[in-house]
Amino acid sequence: MVALTSYLIVSAALLGIGIYGLTVKRNAIRLLFAVEIIVNAANLNFAAFTRYMNPPQISGQVIVFYSIAAAAMEAAVGLALILVAFRLNSTIDVKKLNKLKG
Amino acid sequence: MVSLVIPSDISFVVLTAVTIIGAIIALQAKELIYGAVALAISFIGVAGFFTLLDAPYLAMLQISIYVGAVVVLILFTIMLVRREQGEETNPRTDTPEGSMGIWLAGLLAIAISGVVALAGTSLPTETPASNLTVSDLGPALTLQYPVPLIVLALLLSASLLGALVLAKVER
Repeated sequence: MVALTSYLIVSAALLGIGIYGLTVKRNAIRLLFAVEIIVNAANLNFAAFTRYMNPPQISGQVIVFYSIAAAAMEAAVGLALILVAFRLNSTIDVKKLNKLKG
Repeated sequence: MVSLVIPSDISFVVLTAVTIIGAIIALQAKELIYGAVALAISFIGVAGFFTLLDAPYLAMLQISIYVGAVVVLILFTIMLVRREQGEETNPRTDTPEGSMGIWLAGLLAIAISGVVALAGTSLPTETPASNLTVSDLGPALTLQYPVPLIVLALLLSASLLGALVLAKVER
């Protein structure tokens, strides 16, 4: 049987990959990828913890339900923002989106 | 407990490989489109984890929302902003913040794994017997947590309207 620890370590690895993407990548769509990977790591943690609860609980699945819906709308708004930024600046390189810089 | 033909240990290893490698390729692929496809494969791996964790409804949601909606949305956006490819996707590891990001991510993942491994003795290793099924999720959503569900519905419609207003071309 798989121990809870295995799930947590997979989740930690996904978090590390996501943070690497957030800090290193410059393409706005890649940053969105990284955010989605981090959200997935959190969801995996919730599902794993709620499964290993004794007595069994369903609340963790409810939270993942909300989290998936929230991540979907975050992606929709984020992609709309990226489209606007591309239209205004004709680039989605976050290093070049510096109009608000003083 | 999932009644899979293959033991869950093997499927866990396979799913781990699919998820982690998919996530890495999603960030490292030269073409953004390939990255999006790898991201979808990584999401399918997470859906497999949900199945292993006796949450088939979450697995279904994961596939239908993430793989079905989010990745397709990302693909369409990539087509719309296709013009620039190439050097933007290259990692900036030569800059101080770039290398610091790699170190930070690696250290964080190793630190969390270390803490988890140290606490492993006090964490449960056996899955407790569970009689929860998909049909328990509905009452939990509507009876136990009704207010978050309503707020979520409002938030969804607000974000839809917001995305529409943002992406609208003004003439």
